[in-house]
Amino acid sequence: MDLLSHNWIVYLTICLFFTGVSCNSMENKIYINLNYTMPCVRLLNATHQIGCQSSLSGDVGVLHVLESEDNLDLVLRSGLHPPYMVILETPLFTRSIMMKLKSGSKRVAGVAVVEPSANPPQGFSPHTKCPNENTGVYSENYGPSLAHCNTTEWNPLGNGLSYEDFDFPIFSLKDDNDTQVIRQCYMDHNRALNGSDPQYPLCAMQLFSHMSAVTNTATCMRRNSISFSISPEMVCDPLSDYNIWAPVKPLNTTEKGHKAGESVVIASARLDSRSFFSDIAPGAESAASGLVTLLAAAHALRNATQEAQLNRTIFYTFFHGETFDYIGSSRMVFDMERNQFPIDLDNIHSVLEIGQVGLLSNSKLWLHTDPVSRRNSSIEEEVKNLITNLQAAANGLNVSVEEPAATQPLPPASFHRFLLARPFPGVVIEDHSSSFTNKYYQSMYDNPEYLNLLFPPDLTPEEQLNHISDTAKSLTEVATLVARALFVQAGGEKSQISTIKADELTVSRMLYSFLISSNNSWIQEIISPEHVGHLNNKTTNFYISVLDQTSLPALLVKQMLANLTGITVNVTEEDCRNQRENKDDTESQHLYKYLWVQGAAAPNGTQREGFCIRSTVSWSKALSPAFELEDYTSSIYSTWTESRWKKIKGRIFLVASHDLEMLTLGVGIGVLLTSLLLTYIISSKVDILFSSGREPTSATY
Amino acid sequence: MNLERLPNEEKLSLCRKYYLGGFALLPFLWLVNVVWFFKEAFVKPPFTEQTLIKTYVKRSALGLSFWVAVLTTWITIYQHYRSQWGEVGDRLSFTIPLGTP
Repeated sequence: MDLLSHNWIVYLTICLFFTGVSCNSMENKIYINLNYTMPCVRLLNATHQIGCQSSLSGDVGVLHVLESEDNLDLVLRSGLHPPYMVILETPLFTRSIMMKLKSGSKRVAGVAVVEPSANPPQGFSPHTKCPNENTGVYSENYGPSLAHCNTTEWNPLGNGLSYEDFDFPIFSLKDDNDTQVIRQCYMDHNRALNGSDPQYPLCAMQLFSHMSAVTNTATCMRRNSISFSISPEMVCDPLSDYNIWAPVKPLNTTEKGHKAGESVVIASARLDSRSFFSDIAPGAESAASGLVTLLAAAHALRNATQEAQLNRTIFYTFFHGETFDYIGSSRMVFDMERNQFPIDLDNIHSVLEIGQVGLLSNSKLWLHTDPVSRRNSSIEEEVKNLITNLQAAANGLNVSVEEPAATQPLPPASFHRFLLARPFPGVVIEDHSSSFTNKYYQSMYDNPEYLNLLFPPDLTPEEQLNHISDTAKSLTEVATLVARALFVQAGGEKSQISTIKADELTVSRMLYSFLISSNNSWIQEIISPEHVGHLNNKTTNFYISVLDQTSLPALLVKQMLANLTGITVNVTEEDCRNQRENKDDTESQHLYKYLWVQGAAAPNGTQREGFCIRSTVSWSKALSPAFELEDYTSSIYSTWTESRWKKIKGRIFLVASHDLEMLTLGVGIGVLLTSLLLTYIISSKVDILFSSGREPTSATY
Repeated sequence: MNLERLPNEEKLSLCRKYYLGGFALLPFLWLVNVVWFFKEAFVKPPFTEQTLIKTYVKRSALGLSFWVAVLTTWITIYQHYRSQWGEVGDRLSFTIPLGTP
């Protein structure tokens, strides 16, 4: 008996196994799943929703590979098989085509954009022409003539596609096997031959990117908080990450608010970028160029600032979420105003911001300032001073600095948020005199190729990591300039600045880590063991993450900054992780941060010799103050949230004609009805059909 | 329970219970009453308790149609205007469909 039941279980398992397998293979026979799918997702702010979404069960459309703009007529009017899933080659991914598709969205099931192998020469930016137009300092109350980019359009190529709302899914596809399969499927089934319409079955694609949040941030945050329902479900998350900062001199970070006698020079860069598609944000020029420069400058200043006693403290700051209405900088200023930060606004002497500096023309850097605050004579004096320091720093370097026209407003920069609080002397260093040099601002083409980060062929990854490219050389010059200027600005002797030099190799390694692959031997050495899993072999995605998560760029900057500005201390792993020098040390944690890092791998084995780094590198939340104040309709603070979603997927398959589908359904229903009728007849005539002479059992109730 | 097997007095008391129960904001009791006792009230040959059963069934039907009218109106208004009501709409909802205004 025991054996018998055992056998039964075995048989049942085998049966179930085969059913499972056959189900799978059935699905595989019908569908081809796409491996690489990068969707455009929905973001929301105080007033709008932007991005894309599919229906809950995915949008299905007959594939149509768009060959030219004229070809659109088939999709929007004449085609016989709507809705269409439009495959766009990237030259056709333009505002005019996308807006036509948007307006004809009843006949459009979705769009898939094939990533190109080369950047479009005419430029492409899905961002707006006037980035962060409404959250900068210029408004009706402050330099009204400069508000809304009236005098200078910073991003003239901006077509605003990233800020449109599409009610169909839009995916990005890599130009690889998947797209080959799609093209082949289209060629085999959907191409009109000799002017006749293609015959069923047709090749179709289904895209899933259903977004949970809708309307605006106020709505989705409210729905997040309603716990009345049976299954309360979060629908959106505020965009949030961490600002990374480090004073060159240890400051007591536990004590918040004003630090008496402290005067700091803020040296800042931005840490994020974006593109039309979520998770593709290479930001080579718009983010990486500036932050690599600042990191290199911090490295160059490590020894100089330790030897010389400077009367001002340089404060390196990396702001996150600046793309989305200055999340990081507005939060830091907000914290300073409310005494929630180790220093306050009174401690700030001046601000030097590094913007986009990767594309120098004639080795010229432009020093942008705010004309409105310069009307104040004391500010003007300090700004002049800072500019003089920058000019002095440029002496003997291959880069020169120049000022743009005096009436030109400040380009989009974190410095805006400081100016919003009160006038500060400050300079923003950029590689453009008026409009951006960057042709691909906040787009997927702002990639290492655009920064000219090229390697000779046949280099191993290790050799590429240490290869010093022309871009690295140029950024090193800029970093040297920044370091020297900061040194003088902080009160250092001008005669000493020639000893300050940024390191080309470090710049090369940083560029490689951010733009080619973060999983390299250098990063492996300087990263904490618990973060190794975050490293990957792709271009770093500079898109900000959501609440309670840290993005890779913030992590990398933290680890790099600690290594480049801190010192190795002889401390055990346990003490290091507990933020102390030894068992009795309770003071150091207020001044320093201790980071345990993996260290280099021994040449003969995989064993790594970890060590402890003591630095002043610290981090604070970059969550917009609007979420702190629960003011989701705020017009002064960023209110961006990202919708949640459940399934991001794409697949292709063949569809039969509508008539055939209806016929199948009709036959099915017919069979069902016939069988019901038969059953009824049989059961009503049961006495005649199955008369066995038995007494009918009397009904009991 | 089979009504056929019940004595007429018990039918009346049952019908009365359902009728009175409906006043406790339970229109479904009225619906049941109407459906269940319709035959007894209007189809069956007359019997003593039938007049009272008739009254209860009629009144139940009246109450039921009142409820149907009220609920239909409310549901129509709610479905139509929920998204425009914003916060009020969300607070009134038990489940909010994902991804719809």
